[in-house]
Amino acid sequence: MSGVGPVEPVGPAEPVEPVEARPGHAPGPHRDAPPPDVIGSDSPRPSDRWRRLPPRVRATALTAAVTALAAAALWLLPPTPSGHKPQEPAQPWPAVTTAFRYTGVADNPGAGPTRDFHFEVSVHDGPPVTVSHINAAPGGLRTRTTPPTSFTVRAGSAHRITVRITVTDCGALPVNVNLPFLDVTLRNKHAIQHYSFIFGNRYSRDLSGLLHTACDATRALPSPRVRREVRVLTMWTRRVLANPAESDLHTSSSTGTS
Amino acid sequence: MRHRSLVILTSVLTTGALTLTACGSRDNNKGGDSGSKKTEVIIGVDAPLTGQNSATGLGIQGGVQVAVDDANKKNLVPGVTFKVQALDDKAIPASGQQNATQLVNNDKVLGVVGPLNSGVATQMQQVFATANLVEISPSNTAPELTQGKNWQTKKVRPFKTYFRTATTDALQGGFAADYAYNTLKKKNVFVVDDKQTYGAGLAKLFTAGFTKAGGKVVGTDHVNTGDTDFSALVTKIKNSKADLVYYGGQYDESEKLTKQLKDGGAKIPLFGGDGMFSDTYIQTAGKTSEGDLATSVGQPVDTLASAQDFIKKYKAAGLKGDYGTYGGYSYDAATAIIKAIGNVVKDGKVPSDARAKIVDEVGKTKFNGVAGPVAFDQYGDTTNKQLTVYQVTNGKWKAVKSGTFNG
Repeated sequence: MSGVGPVEPVGPAEPVEPVEARPGHAPGPHRDAPPPDVIGSDSPRPSDRWRRLPPRVRATALTAAVTALAAAALWLLPPTPSGHKPQEPAQPWPAVTTAFRYTGVADNPGAGPTRDFHFEVSVHDGPPVTVSHINAAPGGLRTRTTPPTSFTVRAGSAHRITVRITVTDCGALPVNVNLPFLDVTLRNKHAIQHYSFIFGNRYSRDLSGLLHTACDATRALPSPRVRREVRVLTMWTRRVLANPAESDLHTSSSTGTS
Repeated sequence: MRHRSLVILTSVLTTGALTLTACGSRDNNKGGDSGSKKTEVIIGVDAPLTGQNSATGLGIQGGVQVAVDDANKKNLVPGVTFKVQALDDKAIPASGQQNATQLVNNDKVLGVVGPLNSGVATQMQQVFATANLVEISPSNTAPELTQGKNWQTKKVRPFKTYFRTATTDALQGGFAADYAYNTLKKKNVFVVDDKQTYGAGLAKLFTAGFTKAGGKVVGTDHVNTGDTDFSALVTKIKNSKADLVYYGGQYDESEKLTKQLKDGGAKIPLFGGDGMFSDTYIQTAGKTSEGDLATSVGQPVDTLASAQDFIKKYKAAGLKGDYGTYGGYSYDAATAIIKAIGNVVKDGKVPSDARAKIVDEVGKTKFNGVAGPVAFDQYGDTTNKQLTVYQVTNGKWKAVKSGTFNG
């Protein structure tokens, strides 16, 4: 607030008569009229009142005052130099901390419509991440993972995995793959996420090699035995429930087939 | 007696509380303005703040403002007070160039966040490079801005002062093409673009990915920015028997195109890039936008635990604009500049070659931002290459697929 307004009395509401100094008499304290630099009256003085209180009352008041001051100190004083409550560290969700790296394809040219693709799964930060589902896209492929899902990767470590991909339906596959990806389900103690890891030229070239090997001869006449598979992918993320066992999203696979 | 005791107790508590309040106030000023005067450093912002694209442009300005407020509050760079100077480029390249010159000529400006549009960026890069002033765009996606005109055959970085926190259309266009062909099972697409650097480039990359997968482009056409009547285009699209329309451009035109398309009886989805990913698109197109799709860079900011504090502050400050598209990336871009300044400006003293040193420091950036890890590769591109496909569902953008490019 700025500006100076009328001064209001803090003591008795009665008007105060100024005391004029008379020649030869200095204006001293006066019982009925306060000195001119005092607004209102607060006599008797607090110290006198305090001394007149019984010891028990004084002790109670002191205890209450100390308690109140301690509480006020906790409330008013900033716990950190910046004046903010310490913020809890951000809780990383699994897709933020997990990386998939393509490391190459196994050299097994006689394997027909099947190839083994190698990846490295690492978690760079935060709580352990469980990989509970891996599926190769696009549709028309069957995926088997070794080691089988689910497996858990801790921060600072990396797991080598092999994803065996088998072409099951040439009719559902594109002619070429541009940015092929793995659809995975990741889980840590904060969230479960369905996520895609997209790979560049090397995986694109190797996967296209498999598609051409498996489908070039049959693309014009897809096998009637192979059922056309139409997949609808949805992206979802859900916070982990307090009791993970209550989650309906647990997708661990005992067979290792994703 | 009880009354007297209460009076005394109240007096004691009041005195104590006032004393502590005074102590708290002094503590809050530690490292602040008390005593010595701080050096003022300006973080420039260039974006469309009025007219076309302004919803996303204001989101950029807001994201930078929150970052600067945070830096000042936390005294992130001792001896420095940061301020934001936001200039409106109206999504016009020439305006962007004028703004770049204005920012370069102000010695207090040690870094710039922006612009929104790739086409505007092409006219600003040289100005910043000449003055060694660092520029980080939270939203430019044209690959040539960082990798040169011949980026598909030989990548060459054209400007060492230019960085970006958004990934490129090379990924966005391919990601969209893959989703359209393999997930939506669309085989015949009609491709439209707005002839701008961003829109035409994105449409071209989508087309390449879609045809490579085996899809067919059954028609193409162009629009002009600012067009409002698309009746002739709607007729062409209907006659093409396309099962999908891909649009390379901004929401300003596509929100009208989709409405006229659906009202004209073509019940096929319209798919676009991050320039279309704005709440304004849904608000304008209304129910006709239902089922339409857009890719955008990054993950949905609302799902990022690291972004919750940013969103809270953005909303609490009452900032305008759409923080959901680039607000988080703008915060991270501004923070990267502020951290770089902190490594160069000590005790408020700005060295004569500060701008050049800040460019070098930005290149070494590595921290966890609100939208994910922040770091740049040798071209000035972000190493955080996340993409999301959104679909309009019940009147809102809903993330339907999210992924990270691992190279």
